[in-house]
Amino acid sequence: MNKVLFLFLLVLLGSCSDSELIGMKQISHGAQIYKAQCANCHQDDGSGLAQLIPPLKHSDYLKNHSNELPCLIQNGLKGKITVNGSDYQLAMPAVNGLTKDELADVCLYVLQKFPETPIQLSEAELHSQVDTCFKAK
Amino acid sequence: MKKLIPILFISFVGLLSSCSDEHNLPIYGNRETKEVMVDGKTVIDTIYATVPDFTFVNQDSFVVTQETVKGKIYIADFFFASCPTICPIMKKQMIRVYEKYKGNSNVLLLSHTIDPEHDTIALLKDYATRLGSDGKQWMFLTGDREAIYDMAAQGYYATAMPDSTEPGGYVHSGGFILVDTQRRVRGIYNGTSEDEVTHLMKDMDILLKENE
Repeated sequence: MNKVLFLFLLVLLGSCSDSELIGMKQISHGAQIYKAQCANCHQDDGSGLAQLIPPLKHSDYLKNHSNELPCLIQNGLKGKITVNGSDYQLAMPAVNGLTKDELADVCLYVLQKFPETPIQLSEAELHSQVDTCFKAK
Repeated sequence: MKKLIPILFISFVGLLSSCSDEHNLPIYGNRETKEVMVDGKTVIDTIYATVPDFTFVNQDSFVVTQETVKGKIYIADFFFASCPTICPIMKKQMIRVYEKYKGNSNVLLLSHTIDPEHDTIALLKDYATRLGSDGKQWMFLTGDREAIYDMAAQGYYATAMPDSTEPGGYVHSGGFILVDTQRRVRGIYNGTSEDEVTHLMKDMDILLKENE
């Protein structure tokens, strides 16, 4: 029985391409960073906090600004924004001390997890955005 | 074995009834004794530590003092609006407490800012409104920086001070401090823990019954 299960798992694993496996690893790494750096305010489920901290889950702002996400995390955000029809104005602090890979992974996770339909960025696109933010700092 | 089942059942019921949520809450702080005369006899009376008098201002610019909390039980906590670490978690939990006791005139919630320079009255007003507070039962207090820090340490056994090594620039304890109608601290709970805040609400019910 165990052998059958083992073979089955082997086939299952083999059906994932290398790049898919790497992507899954990055997203799970991103989830850990999200938990440590973002979830205090935005909550584990991305629901935010009342009218004080905006939600990420199904957020139109996130959807419309997905290209800016790496810089937004790296530099923080000040000023009023509108998310799903509500205004928010509490400043978001910059998340300090992330490496380029960590920043990329947490973006992958957020864009995968919270929009109604996951937003796919190509590896190259994401890394060029991350590089831009690091240069700007 | 079949005969044993009713016996087991009865002893299990007995065991359950011996567990009860009803318990007396401790009284925090040092206590002193005083000799007083009762009916011509000298007896020893215990004097418990109480939260000192205070004067702060709330998000609507109203002065809040010990008179405001007179005859009520209240929870005190410390936060600052730009806090990226534990404050949002504490506020999520405080919303639970607020929702449960909303409209109960015997309960107040006092959230003190520890960053009065940044957290102006206008900012506190906005903060309160955004959290869903009516501003009367759950108040956001500011005042003289040193007075707030002294109050945290001496009144509520809590820590609040600037610390440049901390994210946001301040270190403070995440405690919810439960105070009774006689201004005695009766419990300190971790305001970032859902379980402890559930425990706090059970203890609030006990305190409210004490005053009935």
